Amino acid sequence: MKPISEIIRQKPWLGWVFFLITMVVVFFLGLLASSIVERRAEAVFAYTPAVDIDSLEPDNAVWGKYFPREYHSYLQTADTVFRSRYGGSASIDMLKYAPELVILWAGYSFSKDYNQGRGHYHAITDIRATLRTGAPAGNVKSPSPNTCWTCKSSDVPRLISEKGIAGFYAGTWETLGPEVTHPIGCVDCHDPSTMNLHISRPALLEAFQRQGKDIGAVSLQEMRSLVCAQCHVEYYFNKHVAEGVQYLTFPWDKGFTADSIEAYYDAMDFVDWEHAISKAPMLKAQHPDYELYLSGTHAKRGISCADCHMPYISEGGQKFTSHHIGSPLRNVSSSCQVCHREETDKLVADVYERQDKIASIRHQLEKLLVRAHVEAKAAWDAGARKEQMQEILQLIRHAQWRWDFAAASHGASFHAPLEVSRIISTGIEKAQEARIKLSRLLASLGRNAEIPLPDISSKEKAQIYIGLDMKTLREEKAQFLQQVVPEWEKK
Amino acid sequence: MVSTSGFLKVVKPPPQWKVPVLLLLAVLAGLFLFLVHISRAPSYLGDDPKTCVNCHIMAPQYATWQHSSHRENATCNDCHVPHNNILNKYYFKAKDGLRHATVFTLRAEPQVIFIREAGKNVVWKNCIRCHGPLVTNPKLQAMRPLHINSLGTRNCTECHRHTPHGTVNSLASVPNARVPLPSSPVPAWLRNIMRTNTGATQ
Repeated sequence: MKPISEIIRQKPWLGWVFFLITMVVVFFLGLLASSIVERRAEAVFAYTPAVDIDSLEPDNAVWGKYFPREYHSYLQTADTVFRSRYGGSASIDMLKYAPELVILWAGYSFSKDYNQGRGHYHAITDIRATLRTGAPAGNVKSPSPNTCWTCKSSDVPRLISEKGIAGFYAGTWETLGPEVTHPIGCVDCHDPSTMNLHISRPALLEAFQRQGKDIGAVSLQEMRSLVCAQCHVEYYFNKHVAEGVQYLTFPWDKGFTADSIEAYYDAMDFVDWEHAISKAPMLKAQHPDYELYLSGTHAKRGISCADCHMPYISEGGQKFTSHHIGSPLRNVSSSCQVCHREETDKLVADVYERQDKIASIRHQLEKLLVRAHVEAKAAWDAGARKEQMQEILQLIRHAQWRWDFAAASHGASFHAPLEVSRIISTGIEKAQEARIKLSRLLASLGRNAEIPLPDISSKEKAQIYIGLDMKTLREEKAQFLQQVVPEWEKK
Repeated sequence: MVSTSGFLKVVKPPPQWKVPVLLLLAVLAGLFLFLVHISRAPSYLGDDPKTCVNCHIMAPQYATWQHSSHRENATCNDCHVPHNNILNKYYFKAKDGLRHATVFTLRAEPQVIFIREAGKNVVWKNCIRCHGPLVTNPKLQAMRPLHINSLGTRNCTECHRHTPHGTVNSLASVPNARVPLPSSPVPAWLRNIMRTNTGATQ
């Protein structure tokens, strides 16, 4: 056969045929390429509605226009009907439930008022109403800093971008009162341009940086827990970051366990308050939900917070993530039963069994701690010296820290029952150790009889014993809610 | 029959055309490589579920799997391609994949995607591949004889219809799902220009 160039020279039309064939092939290859590019570009829009939401939009209703299902399920966090055995969406007066807590927190504002919180929707109402934030009016300032707003409102990202991080934390709680009006919502977890999950609170980012971890490198599944870990964690206010600022900090540098966080606080001589009865240098655990969840079996299996607390639900022909965040016990079929194909009653009984057992040993520790505080007071009264008390007070500090770590994380007796039992058992050991040392000390001071306990059979009696004037506190608060809050809402 | 050297002799351009022909062939090869790149072709050799949402119409399937308990133990390929031998695996994958790619390119996808008979049978075998010991366990046989009695005669999905994707699977069923779809093919610098010129948010 002759070379093509020879053939074409003889039959020039054949050259045109080659030209046309090649053109068609390239044309279709180009079409294919452009189709692939087009369909990839579609992907950017297909699952992200074209929204016009400001990057710091605090108003959940504005987001709700584009995401009605998610928004309406979020609004259901206003519901206060659901009750489980120990929790639920209603406000529960924990001091009434266990008057021992009043003694444990003597000298600290939690002895005035401690309610188990309601849903995200009520965040602002509830922080205004608690006696812990005081009754600022006129020249009277709140005992709390602005830092306390950090986890209550979707106005916070906007305020932080305006004032800077330390600038936002600075000042007492009432100064930002008029600015903070929207409860926890969309912008706290979602990036408005992509709707992807994002971290909006600096404390978590700062903790990651100190640990040398990159928040940009975490998976979507981890983000479905980390957005919760912006708030549902143990934290403290560091006074050494900026002058006169209570800087929100996560104490994770040594690890996530109760012991490593305790070591972190001990190393920096951190004290939340001096106990009014025993004078022990106390620590207050906040709500180490994320930390304890990490040590549980569900975390090890790769389950995120959202998997159970925000399950996938369907409505008509559409599926979406329920934003009615709350106890999974309210909706066992969408949460537990996705993995556990067992009867609802059986699954709920399993949860309650863990909670019952842990609640009973936790309550024992509460009683021991009350005794330890009262006995320490008796030792002081009998003339004990500071150096004799130091070791005892440290034991009380550690014992109560462990009790609080287990108690303040309401879900932990289910999230991590083994770890919580371990924490409580070491707490019992430390409390008893303190009491043995106290009884020796008391004996050496001539007090050999058992130290009588005050009558703390009710919240009111306990509060009288530690010298709280609840009537005035409540009246001042009522006045604040009637006179100051309406002014805030007008602005 | 033309031998290789004979073929070369036939198609070889005259010396003065060598450079232009070389350039044209490189353009064609470049276009082909671009196709490989933009379609993420190499990803199709692996088992990462992200590959399956290269086509965004698979987002409902990805989102529902991602919210199911199978997420922890089974990838798309664990159920949807055969595992009896590696040749069959890649043969089935290529056959299914090319059909999917064709339908997607021609924009011929239906509003609700149903699994075909061949795919159903593959899934069925894969159910048994993992859950076989459960189905054949004598203790459980006694408790639920239906399993062992139906083994090989009835497809698991006849009863377990919602496992793991649920029963609602239209293209519009997960409007706001966060699925790892491919990123925009538009480069960032161009997107920035578009944003400043049009004020668009995306």
